[in-house]
Amino acid sequence: MEAAMNAMPYLLEGLKMTLYIFVIAIFFGFIIGLVVAMLRLAPIKPLQWIAKVYVDIIRGTPLLVQIFFIYFGLNSLSFISLDNVTAGILTVSVNAGAYLSENIRAGIQSINKGQTEASRSLGFSGTQTMRYIILPQALRRMLPTFTNQAIITLKDTSLLSVIGIADLTQRGEVQASATFESFAIWTTVGIMYFIIIYLLTIISNYLEKRMVIR
Amino acid sequence: MSIISVKHLKKSFGENQVLKDISTEIAEREVVCVIGPSGSGKSTFLRCLNRLEEITSGEVILNGHNVTDHKIDINRVRQEVGMVFQQFNLFPHKTVLQNVNLAPIKLKGVAKEEADKRALELLEKVGLKEKANNYPGELSGGQQQRVAIARALAMEPKIMLFDEPTSALDPEMVGEVLNVMKKLAQEGMTMIVVTHEMGFAREVADRVIFMDGGYIVEENKPKELFDAPQNERTKSFLSKVL
Ligand SMILES: Nc1ncnc2c1ncn2[C@@H]1O[C@H](COP(=O)(O)OP(=O)(O)OP(=O)(O)O)[C@@H](O)[C@H]1O
Ligand SMILES: [Mg+2]
Repeated sequence: MEAAMNAMPYLLEGLKMTLYIFVIAIFFGFIIGLVVAMLRLAPIKPLQWIAKVYVDIIRGTPLLVQIFFIYFGLNSLSFISLDNVTAGILTVSVNAGAYLSENIRAGIQSINKGQTEASRSLGFSGTQTMRYIILPQALRRMLPTFTNQAIITLKDTSLLSVIGIADLTQRGEVQASATFESFAIWTTVGIMYFIIIYLLTIISNYLEKRMVIR
Repeated sequence: MSIISVKHLKKSFGENQVLKDISTEIAEREVVCVIGPSGSGKSTFLRCLNRLEEITSGEVILNGHNVTDHKIDINRVRQEVGMVFQQFNLFPHKTVLQNVNLAPIKLKGVAKEEADKRALELLEKVGLKEKANNYPGELSGGQQQRVAIARALAMEPKIMLFDEPTSALDPEMVGEVLNVMKKLAQEGMTMIVVTHEMGFAREVADRVIFMDGGYIVEENKPKELFDAPQNERTKSFLSKVL
């Protein structure tokens, strides 16, 4: 108990880093997911193909390998130099983007074709139809899957401790080995993650209720 | 001078030729009802007029625009043609008012206040002004379809296309929708209505087109077509539905 209390300020700094990376990565992950979903649904074969290859590669390789590839692999190229936080955010964004793109695509495809027809018959272009009619409905519908992915992504950031990012997990390791109070420290770290994820769930439930389509 | 001119329109889905050779002219302010058995191509015909379906061959001239020409801006042409669907297809995430004023605001750049005013007038016309702030899911089928009509009218179209607008409705709601359509016809709207409501066709239509197997088999004034059909297939169809 006392060990946990003493470690608290140090761990909270780590939690800050975790949240910092998470917020930026999920934001860019969402943007990437949206763009890739559009490519996937574009009526142009090479674009569909590029999007599919991207998603398949990300889904077909472990996140840890992706982290090593971007931080060590890319950095070994002479013209690229990424610090570990940038590399970490990049990896997690690219990873979340791939999964989110599939969710967004499924959400879009779940919207009744009649919606597109009604919109096009009014004179909206394909792009306008996507923006005003299809996406707003699809995004509402996929909110639960989006929350799910956000939770996974938050947990995924803990892997970034392997490239020396001082996130909550990494600071937990440091404290545990410095104090020999492994049980207290890891319990504290676990509770911190749990609280954040619990808050995410509450926010999501609230949004879901507010955005429900009557 | 016809507002719609269809010449040798053909439409295939893969191997399946659905419209075989359709030619007809529709005059301004004319109300045309299209009847015929299921699968005869009525919906496809209607959807070719505003190119919701790609036209395989032939020509459709709509209010002076060649719809078959791929160089035209089809989105502009569609603004001049309202369409009402069997399944209403209202936008469920928008209120009734937003359903009606969305297109004028986004496509014509009408100011929000002006668009609201106009939308409320249209909703009043279809008898649903008090539902302006409800969502489509809170309305009955008949009410939803009347909103869909108001939504289409908000773009001030020259032509209105209706694809079985009452077929998805409970019987007690059919009348309220047909009444709105009747009013529209009396105001001089050019209308093409695919329908199974023979009473409506007889009373409101200037002309009835009977389609079967991808052809226009017979077309005539409703009285003539219903009371003295010429073609055997028309007779047999009418004997089943009347
Ligand atoms: N998108 C499509 N792809 C393939 N075939 C289609 C498509 N739309 C329609 N068809 C076919 O075209 C034929 C005519 O369909 P259409 O919907 O025009 O008939 P309809 O006269 O409107 O019938 P109903 O009274 O049942 O609405 C049918 O055989 C149908 O299976
Ligand atoms: Mg049909």
